[in-house]
Amino acid sequence: MFNRDFWSEIFMALRRNKLRTILTGFAISWGIFMLIVLLSAGNGLKNGVTGNFADRIKNTYTIWSSSTELPYKGYKAGRFIMLTNKDIQLLETLYQVEEVSPVLSKGGTLIFGEKSKSVSLEGVKPIYKNIEGIKIIEGRFLDENDMKNRLKVIVIDKNTNEELLRITEEPSMIGKTVYINDLGFKVIGVSKGMAFGEMGQCYAPYSTLQTIYNVNEYYQLTFTTKGLNTKEDNEMFRADLKRKIAAIHDFSPEDQRGVWIESEMINSLETIRIFNTINIFIWVIGIAMLISGVVGVSNIMRITVKERTNEIGIRKALGAKPRSILMSIVMESLVITTIFGYIGMICGVGVMEIVNSIMEASGAGTNAEMEMSVFVNPTVDISIVVMATLVLIISGVAAGFAPAWNSVKVKPIEAMNYR
Amino acid sequence: MLKLNNINKTYFGAQPLHVLKGINLNVEEGELVSIMGASGSGKSTLLNIMGILDNYDEGDYYLAGKLVKNLSENQAAEFRNKFIGFIFQSFNLIPFKTALENVALPLFYQGVNRKKRNLMAMEYLDRFGLKDWADHYPNELSGGQKQRVSIARALVTSPKIILADEPTGALDSKTSAEVMQILREVNATGITMVIVTHERGIANLTRKIVYLKDGLIESIEENDPDKMDFTKAIK
Repeated sequence: MFNRDFWSEIFMALRRNKLRTILTGFAISWGIFMLIVLLSAGNGLKNGVTGNFADRIKNTYTIWSSSTELPYKGYKAGRFIMLTNKDIQLLETLYQVEEVSPVLSKGGTLIFGEKSKSVSLEGVKPIYKNIEGIKIIEGRFLDENDMKNRLKVIVIDKNTNEELLRITEEPSMIGKTVYINDLGFKVIGVSKGMAFGEMGQCYAPYSTLQTIYNVNEYYQLTFTTKGLNTKEDNEMFRADLKRKIAAIHDFSPEDQRGVWIESEMINSLETIRIFNTINIFIWVIGIAMLISGVVGVSNIMRITVKERTNEIGIRKALGAKPRSILMSIVMESLVITTIFGYIGMICGVGVMEIVNSIMEASGAGTNAEMEMSVFVNPTVDISIVVMATLVLIISGVAAGFAPAWNSVKVKPIEAMNYR
Repeated sequence: MLKLNNINKTYFGAQPLHVLKGINLNVEEGELVSIMGASGSGKSTLLNIMGILDNYDEGDYYLAGKLVKNLSENQAAEFRNKFIGFIFQSFNLIPFKTALENVALPLFYQGVNRKKRNLMAMEYLDRFGLKDWADHYPNELSGGQKQRVSIARALVTSPKIILADEPTGALDSKTSAEVMQILREVNATGITMVIVTHERGIANLTRKIVYLKDGLIESIEENDPDKMDFTKAIK
């Protein structure tokens, strides 16, 4: 049945009915094209918005030292609580805590050649990069080797880097030695850094600074957690931690202050909810598009087959068997939807790739000042595209099948006289 | 060749319409029969039943000795393809196929290969003087040419019987005469022919005239077309 004659009949019918073929094909191409464009645009929105929060979704906590608000056990209110090594030891015993990085803060003056600049020097562990979301623009951040060997290495911020480069001929500060409070540190990296006014911000290994300064009090402790996945888990953990720290420092567990415990996780969970909402939104749009595509394609197919009722009647009078007619109609729709569906798919994906590359080249869609993006990588998963195309093809063929079946089933004379 | 026993047909619409109320008719092999009647007399319905384009409610219809009743679509298609050639008032050519392809189409459904069926189709077109028009589409042909194409299409499968429903209905008198001449020549080769018409002149060119009135055969008249003055026969 599916011999060369059969296929040449089909392709001839499509070629001879150019207008019908092109109109039907255009409807299908357009449906798939729009589906891809909208899904891609939705994805672009999602990627843009989620990109802003992406490095913030994490299981990190920060404890800040603060002053008490309530009198307790003979202590007056307003006592300033400094965090100590006892707090670090406490954290290390908690099974929810993964890794702790104290923040050992020292003010100082950085000297390089003629240039001097006041900086804040922070002794931290390598994990701090992830906790604070520090971005390295040149070189590297601190690593375990720096920690273990207590190396005198330093990561400086972008502004400081630029100021220091101005007085040297060299293209980079990496490998140069700078002096802070008369101690030499080798520069290993430059961070994007959030500069506070004129102050520079430098990071050195915690172990190195601890050896030099022998510090026992901290303004800030940071750590990562594991196994705390819900808001409830995190709030329970936070309240429990607060009570334990209160016991160490003898302040009231009821005290709203004393220490601040900040959970990025709890903030992140809010963000995750926003992502999910965007996701649902995109799927609703996509499915609505697909439905309208299915309706459009089905309608065109239905009308096309209706239009051919006379022809079907004539063919039957000439001795065509129902199966032969049905197969040729179904195959015609299949050929038409597949070819034009494929064209629509290629066009849609192509256009979005072009849009994407132009946007990447020009940096459109992101706001450099704010470091915010609203529209990033507007492309769609190829498997979703193929699935959507298949759904349209199948629904198109199915829609053509019903009227074809009807006109095949009616008496030839009725089909021939159909107007 | 054709044998109809007490054929009844009712159209069930809002108002049931009893179109054929018991038709008894024999058409012998090689006969040239016309069916005449006013519009609504049931003559087209009768022809459609003969051509298995429509079904009937009661009675028996034998075509070439075989009972045609409650056939499956496939069987009906085979019967039509093998035994019957159709000629319609409105030609019923497929508009997006050339004259040649239209003529070759019944052979496609017989499974004849392309080369052979184009050869055969061309032979039939040539027979009716349409060789030069083989590659033209129906809308590029005159009414007479279209009807000749459809006659070629009806004949290409060498059917036992030709059923023509008002074959001259859409043609002027000169062309009608030509078409009737062709049909008579075809009949002369031994092919049975039934022509439905409401034109007296057309019926006068056949050997047997069946008068139909209100779904019943009113009378059957033997006729000798050779006695007719051919130009007078068609007014």
